[in-house]
Amino acid sequence: MKNAQDWLDKIRALPIEGNVRIMNVCGGHERSISMAGLRSALPQNIELIAGPGCPVCVCPEEDVYQAIQLALHAGVILVAFGDMLRVPVNVPKNEIRSLEQAKAAGADVRPIASPREAVKIAQENPEKNVVFFAAGFETTTAPVAAMMLEGVPDNLLLLLSGRLTWPAVAMLLDSGEPGFDALIAPGHVSTVMGPEEWLFVVERHGLPAAVAGFTPVSLLAAMYSVLRQLLEGERFLDNCYPELVRPGGNFAAQKQLAQAMQVVDSNWRGIGVIPASGYALNPEFAAHDARKRYPDFDAAGRKRAGQMPPGCDCARVVLGKIRPNECKLYGRACIPKSPIGPCMVSDEGACRIWWASGIRTNAEADA
Amino acid sequence: MCLAIPMQIVEIDGYNARCSAKGVQREVSLFMLQGEPVAVGDYVMVHVGYAIQVMTEQEARSAWELFDEMLAVVGNDS
Ligand code: SF4
Repeated sequence: MKNAQDWLDKIRALPIEGNVRIMNVCGGHERSISMAGLRSALPQNIELIAGPGCPVCVCPEEDVYQAIQLALHAGVILVAFGDMLRVPVNVPKNEIRSLEQAKAAGADVRPIASPREAVKIAQENPEKNVVFFAAGFETTTAPVAAMMLEGVPDNLLLLLSGRLTWPAVAMLLDSGEPGFDALIAPGHVSTVMGPEEWLFVVERHGLPAAVAGFTPVSLLAAMYSVLRQLLEGERFLDNCYPELVRPGGNFAAQKQLAQAMQVVDSNWRGIGVIPASGYALNPEFAAHDARKRYPDFDAAGRKRAGQMPPGCDCARVVLGKIRPNECKLYGRACIPKSPIGPCMVSDEGACRIWWASGIRTNAEADA
Repeated sequence: MCLAIPMQIVEIDGYNARCSAKGVQREVSLFMLQGEPVAVGDYVMVHVGYAIQVMTEQEARSAWELFDEMLAVVGNDS
């Protein structure tokens, strides 16, 4: 079974009655699905739902605000993955609302593509503190942990906003209205953390699940697997990305994560606190914790902190409750050039991905 | 955020490796692959400058093909 067409034929031949909703929880999966046009290629009664797969989208608004304030007023060099620079916060119109605007106003804000660049910038600027604003899921947070353990200069501090993927799915399932019938589990999160993290979907909730890679072939194989499980009443966690996803995952990476960080209850933008869903630096690394070093810049209690911008439905998009183009602002006030919410900013945001794959009309206009 | 990409190891110096993908070379950390026997010529999946797993050449090639297709699509965007 080699190519995508064969898998599509096999899926079309399945006697599926009624509607089946398959959720993915990874921006990379959503991008492959959208770019390959899998939604229109599959039978109409199979709905592919983009779930919580964008760490930038759920990064707390108050963390972005704190990063902006640090960049503007603490005399630091602020470095962050490029996606974070354009994420807007909720401030009055004439105030600086993104790291990009802070940079334009003269703050030293630098986009980076790797934690190693943060170390290099700190080494090259020993007279200044460098704050690395690190948002990301496990696949991105594990390298940040590795960076800490490899040893970093004294002047490198972390504003850590790492998140775990599975607790958001657990929250949806525990809510009683998960909004999906089967799960495609994320490939690179499972590469690092091990596929076993997703067993709870099968064992506790009785839903079929399969880990997928990023090619249409791997995604279609995973979809075929969960559909067959539904049809035959079987339940197991399938691994359709065995090339990278090994039993237990990457043990060295997990050990490094546990040495540098602990799992804590964490806020998700527009969604609220999810138990045991985020990372905080361990006490041994307190000297590198920007939250501890600059507590005055933590203004989590301010009005409208934590929320999405007015009119932006990004939180419901992230949870798979609505499709991106069902947001009233999609394709109207909100486009990639002038994004209103984080889901239109990040390359992993469903709004951005849908727009890039050619969906230009609002669902209201379609109706 | 940063897509993971497969790269081939060209040179190893401790936990640092020089890796290449499609003619582009990058410094990559092997720190997360401690305990894995990696050697020059091997393929690794690289995410934000860190190798997260070793992989086969065949898997590396199919992932590269995917990127080419996506870049072609994204190139037409906005
Ligand atoms: S289209 Fe824009 S405003 Fe609407 S949910 Fe997406 S990011 Fe938010």
